[in-house]
Amino acid sequence: MRPTGEGGLIWARPPPYIWPRMNAALEAEGLVKRYGARTAVQDLSFSVPQGAIYGVLGPNGAGKSSTLRMLVGVLRPSAGRISLLGGPISRDMLRRVGYLPEERGLYRSMSARGAIAYLARLKGTPSSVAYKRADALLEAHGLGKMRRKKIKTLSKGMAQKVQVLAAIAHEPDFIIFDEPFSGLDPVNQRVLEDTIRAQAAAGRTILFSTHVMEHAERLCDRILLIAHGQKAFEGTVPEALALAPSVAVLETDGDYDLAAALAPRGFNIEFDGEEHGNKRWRARLENGHGSRQLLAACVEAGAPLSLFEPARASLHEAFVALVGDKAMPAAE
Amino acid sequence: MSSILLVARRDYLAYVGAWGFWLSLFTAPLIIAALMFGPLLLARAEPPRVLTIVAERAEDGAAVSEAFAQMALEDARREVAAYVAAAAPSHAETALAAFDGAPNREAAIQAARHIVSMQAPNALAAFPIPSPRYRIIDAPEGDIQALRPYLDGTRTLSDGGALYGALHLRRVENAPTIEYWSVNLSHDEPSNIARRALRLEMQREALAGQGLDPIEADRLQELNPQVSQRDPRPSAGEGQVTLRQRAPFFAALALSFILWSVVFSVANMLLSGVIEEKSNKILDTLLTSVTPLEMLIGKLLGVAAVSATLFLFWGALGGTLLSTAAASMGNSMFGQVAAAFLEPRLLVAFAIGFVAGYLMYGAIFLALGSLCESIQEAQTLLGPVALVLAMPMMLITPALDNPNAPIIEMASWVPIFTPFLLLIRAPSGLAWTEIAGMAGVMLIAVIVILLLAAQIFRAGVVNQLSVSSLFGRKAKG
Repeated sequence: MRPTGEGGLIWARPPPYIWPRMNAALEAEGLVKRYGARTAVQDLSFSVPQGAIYGVLGPNGAGKSSTLRMLVGVLRPSAGRISLLGGPISRDMLRRVGYLPEERGLYRSMSARGAIAYLARLKGTPSSVAYKRADALLEAHGLGKMRRKKIKTLSKGMAQKVQVLAAIAHEPDFIIFDEPFSGLDPVNQRVLEDTIRAQAAAGRTILFSTHVMEHAERLCDRILLIAHGQKAFEGTVPEALALAPSVAVLETDGDYDLAAALAPRGFNIEFDGEEHGNKRWRARLENGHGSRQLLAACVEAGAPLSLFEPARASLHEAFVALVGDKAMPAAE
Repeated sequence: MSSILLVARRDYLAYVGAWGFWLSLFTAPLIIAALMFGPLLLARAEPPRVLTIVAERAEDGAAVSEAFAQMALEDARREVAAYVAAAAPSHAETALAAFDGAPNREAAIQAARHIVSMQAPNALAAFPIPSPRYRIIDAPEGDIQALRPYLDGTRTLSDGGALYGALHLRRVENAPTIEYWSVNLSHDEPSNIARRALRLEMQREALAGQGLDPIEADRLQELNPQVSQRDPRPSAGEGQVTLRQRAPFFAALALSFILWSVVFSVANMLLSGVIEEKSNKILDTLLTSVTPLEMLIGKLLGVAAVSATLFLFWGALGGTLLSTAAASMGNSMFGQVAAAFLEPRLLVAFAIGFVAGYLMYGAIFLALGSLCESIQEAQTLLGPVALVLAMPMMLITPALDNPNAPIIEMASWVPIFTPFLLLIRAPSGLAWTEIAGMAGVMLIAVIVILLLAAQIFRAGVVNQLSVSSLFGRKAKG
């Protein structure tokens, strides 16, 4: 089951991670990365199923980039083992990997097609094929007219698109994007989500890091939450959501204090601000209390309700439940 | 194509695609020509400096005036001789005989010119019209104090010109005294010319006082030992040291300066290139495809190809000019120096020095660049490095004086000096085995430095170690 951008769910195919006899595209075991006395990644183990879209989540400084840089062989782990596409990391193996680093850039004086083709050629794609693919990718992503323009003349969003295309031009089996959505406007974020889905549909395994939960929620089959360099959670999005208590949003007329009224009945309700003269409340549904019980309690207490809306917990809330407020990325 | 060659090719195309490359390619020969011939042309373009002589005794004034005239004649002869030796060597002797046979300077120049116009008319177009360095005029005032306004620029001469200097010649207890008046305080050549002239005049007077015939006195004054320098080595034949033997040293000096400036120019290209890549954040992308060592070697090869392109163009241009000069002006100074540039030993030393020096210094600069986030940061690092890199230049002058001095011999085996000292020592008959030995030492040094530089480069581009992180800030995680 893969949640879609529109809030619905696609059941067209079973999630790759539950496919029978599925091989892992990547397995990391006991990864440690130390910079001098500081430990950026501590005993991190996880597995990325072949064909999955896998999200690595965590706040800034959690160790996401260090982890991803170890996966693509840029950094050597201080300890631990990585198996990529069935073997240890090697130069040949990395030719089957596409990588978009967090700190990205291209040669400013190169043309868009030249930059894409150059990076594809470094990955072993023959020259003529690389240029043809660069042209086709640029055309398909609405940048056909820009293909001969120098990178320095492109807007930041266009340059970032070109860099994403450069990461996939050699048609890798495994694609790693480090914070691919940062710096993109909402329209281009949606375009990039579509690109990621298209790559996954073509059978490629995608791993990306983000600190924005919504992208992970919409795209990922599985997620890994890192906090303070350690694994806080690994599993599916529904599994993560199940860890967070459900909530309900309520509004009452006038000065009525809903929190005080329902506290004796065992409900945990927080004031969430005022709107058009009404008070807005947020109730956490836990300790066996569901939305039905909450509504009944409101009626019993004679609360002047103008809105009652049960809501699904977000990934943000799930992770707050897992690691606490301080270690969490900001919700967007 | 391998990753190394792809990196090299991209860097090469990026450099040769920049307008600055083409500017360097075409303007560098013009700039070198301007530096070589500019001072000469400027000196020629300067009008004669106007001097006047105020003398208590007419004989003293005449002696000094004659000395200036003699110097102007000798300067003109030197210039005419150099020209005819280069432009019409087969008629040089006849032209100079005509020059020497003429009664005065102007007539001498005309006589030599006439010979050239008759015997080698093609060489007449650029025949020099030497201008004397000084023009002696009658003093506009008879008293030195009255001349001061002319000398400090308050008054001008009747032709509107300025008076450059005045020689005030007096006799104090019958001994000549020279006062040289001029606002150009750092220039004292006129007083030295006057001093030599009056010293001869004093000797002449003293000899006459002893009753010696003035003609005999003149003969005695002209007595002068002949000096010649000899080379004792068997390869030197009779041992006579002429310009032909000295020319390779001039060529070596010129080549070592060219080598030094080219090596550090291209090393700076590498430095700014890697800093630009760091600031463009492209290195992480590249590092999944190439190792730091491959990237380092690729970059060195790319810029080496840029240098090779420059050298091929300049070498073809310079080689053609030097070969032509060496063939057509074989007896002239220029022809002999030109021929010295083409000596195999010197060319081999230059090639070894360039390859080793470039790889060594290029790798060091690349490693330094990988530790810097900006050109400004690199400049702070390059300050002390530049002092170390200037050291080879400091050894060049003592090496020219005595290429076989123990300290120079020892220093030439220290890799950072070897490329430059090898060049300077090559014309002194350095054995081929010693040249090969130095090449071997540099090869080992280059390999060691490349490996060390690759480690620093890796730390800089992979672990993002930087100057600022070394001095307080933590490396990024």
